Amino acid sequence: MNKILDLRFVIGLFFSVVALLLIGYSFTTDSVAAKNINRWCGITFIIFGVSMIILSFVKDADDELLEE
Amino acid sequence: MKLEIVDYLIIAIYFFFVIGIGFLLKRRVKTGNDFLMSNRSIPLWITSLAFISANLGAQEVLGMAASGAKYGLYTAHFYWLGAAFAMVFLGIYMMPFYYGSKARSVPEYLKLRFDEKTRTFNAITFAAMTVFSSGISLYALAMLMQVILGWDFHLSVWIAAGIVLIYTYLGGLTSAVYNEVLQFFLIVLGIAPLVYLGLQKAGGWEGIVANVDNAKLHLWKGMDSPAGNPMGVDAFAMVFGLGFVLAFGYWCTDFLVVQRAMISRNLNEARRTPIIAAVPKILMPLIVILPGIIILALQTQSAAFDLPLTESGQTNYNMVLPKLLEQLYPSGILGVGITALIASFMSGMAGNVTAFNTVWTFDIYQSHIKKNASEKHYLNVGKATTVVGILASIATAYVAQGFNSIMDLLQLVFGFVNAPLFATFFLGMFWRRTTGHAAFWGLIAGTASAALTHGLTVAEGKGGWIDNLHTFQSGTGQAFNIAWIAFVVCFVVTMVLSFVTKPKAKDELVGLVYSLTPRQTDPDKRWYKNPLWLGIIVLIATIVLNIIFY
Repeated sequence: MNKILDLRFVIGLFFSVVALLLIGYSFTTDSVAAKNINRWCGITFIIFGVSMIILSFVKDADDELLEE
Repeated sequence: MKLEIVDYLIIAIYFFFVIGIGFLLKRRVKTGNDFLMSNRSIPLWITSLAFISANLGAQEVLGMAASGAKYGLYTAHFYWLGAAFAMVFLGIYMMPFYYGSKARSVPEYLKLRFDEKTRTFNAITFAAMTVFSSGISLYALAMLMQVILGWDFHLSVWIAAGIVLIYTYLGGLTSAVYNEVLQFFLIVLGIAPLVYLGLQKAGGWEGIVANVDNAKLHLWKGMDSPAGNPMGVDAFAMVFGLGFVLAFGYWCTDFLVVQRAMISRNLNEARRTPIIAAVPKILMPLIVILPGIIILALQTQSAAFDLPLTESGQTNYNMVLPKLLEQLYPSGILGVGITALIASFMSGMAGNVTAFNTVWTFDIYQSHIKKNASEKHYLNVGKATTVVGILASIATAYVAQGFNSIMDLLQLVFGFVNAPLFATFFLGMFWRRTTGHAAFWGLIAGTASAALTHGLTVAEGKGGWIDNLHTFQSGTGQAFNIAWIAFVVCFVVTMVLSFVTKPKAKDELVGLVYSLTPRQTDPDKRWYKNPLWLGIIVLIATIVLNIIFY
């Protein structure tokens, strides 16, 4: 419960979910442009999202509201 | 523009997350202070991003792209001349008074420094302004969705307002601030690919230089006279009107943004909040202004990038971003782009509503209607005010739908009130002789002079409702000139009246006035924790940008 109150985790999760959608969609569309754009944006989003999630697991008592 | 299932899914996921944040934070809200002030417990990185995100509403995202197309790079003055300097000034000089005085709002600082009537004047105008701004955001969102996606106006209004109501009602200011940070990343990451694709299609910066009017690719060239640049502003009005009066007036006294710094955990973090926020702020033109310049280059390649006309037959620059989204984004990322636009509207709306309920509860209700009630009582008042604020925003959106010119008028009137406000704060904080009566009448005189200047001058067919003594090159030039005139009048009237009225005793002003407040000595010597060093770095970077794009 504590982890999902960490804003870094929430933001990371949001972008990871959106990234998976974009990447998944890139495999179903016929347009080459849509394929490339969605895939690259999806990859960028998932790198950002996972980085935020990892950051949320780095124990830093001063960084989050819930841990005070 | 037609959305597919994947786009709707992305919008739905966003709605799920913003509402979810409200539900998760609900259990933390137990008192009025938790709901309205976040109990002053928010970490620095969140307050900093919320600080600029509260300003990253619809007017910013759509409006700056529109100005980018209309005025070119001159629009960047709002960032590289206006925002950066004002944000650094707020962090270094003004935040110690706001935070150190333990005031819960900007109007409450005015009460401590001056008197109740000055506070009430500021609180009432600010509360009205936030509700109307929120309503305008809602109206603009619904109109945009109707025009570009064919969505029903009423459905957009009620869904957007309902979602903002749910997460602000449940989690209060903390929920709004958390969502603002999510919205910040969504806006940046949702629009950045658009800039990349647009630049690529336009042939990079070289393509822009080759295809866009050179007059729109400079910051300072042609500033010797209003006729010499597309913005129609001279250097004096730009530097004094925008760079000093309007920018400092907004960033240093508008409670909507200052509130984000005031909920920091300690004074040092409150001071660093606007300065750290200034770093992404000076990079923001890449996201919000560059698209407007890119579309100018793309229009030379294809008529598909031509902007539609308004009902009066003028180019509708507000359609810059929607047009780029339509032409450059395929389904999938289009859903992200549309969600980013929705996020910007909701962010602006939630920011206004949370600032409104704090000012209403603390500065109007507690001050004039019911003093000394329990924390639980103020929590309930804060929650009820949130509902009222949202309903008033919806009503405003419907008024705007029927009488668009009324909204223009209201924004204009609020501009008159805001313009002289910085003079009041500036004198109040740095000249201890300034009195409450002088501050109040100075504000009234400044506001009246702004209205009078508008009534005696004309720009783009607006103003001159008394007489036409002068015609400005552009509406922007008129606004900047009105601002500095109102500032000077407020400044002079306040000074003169301060000499003939009785000031507060010295011991009442400790912590409220610069000369009577002990200097902050930060025991931590690390440069990145020192607001002064951070401010210097931000200012150097800003000056370098001004030189590069001279």
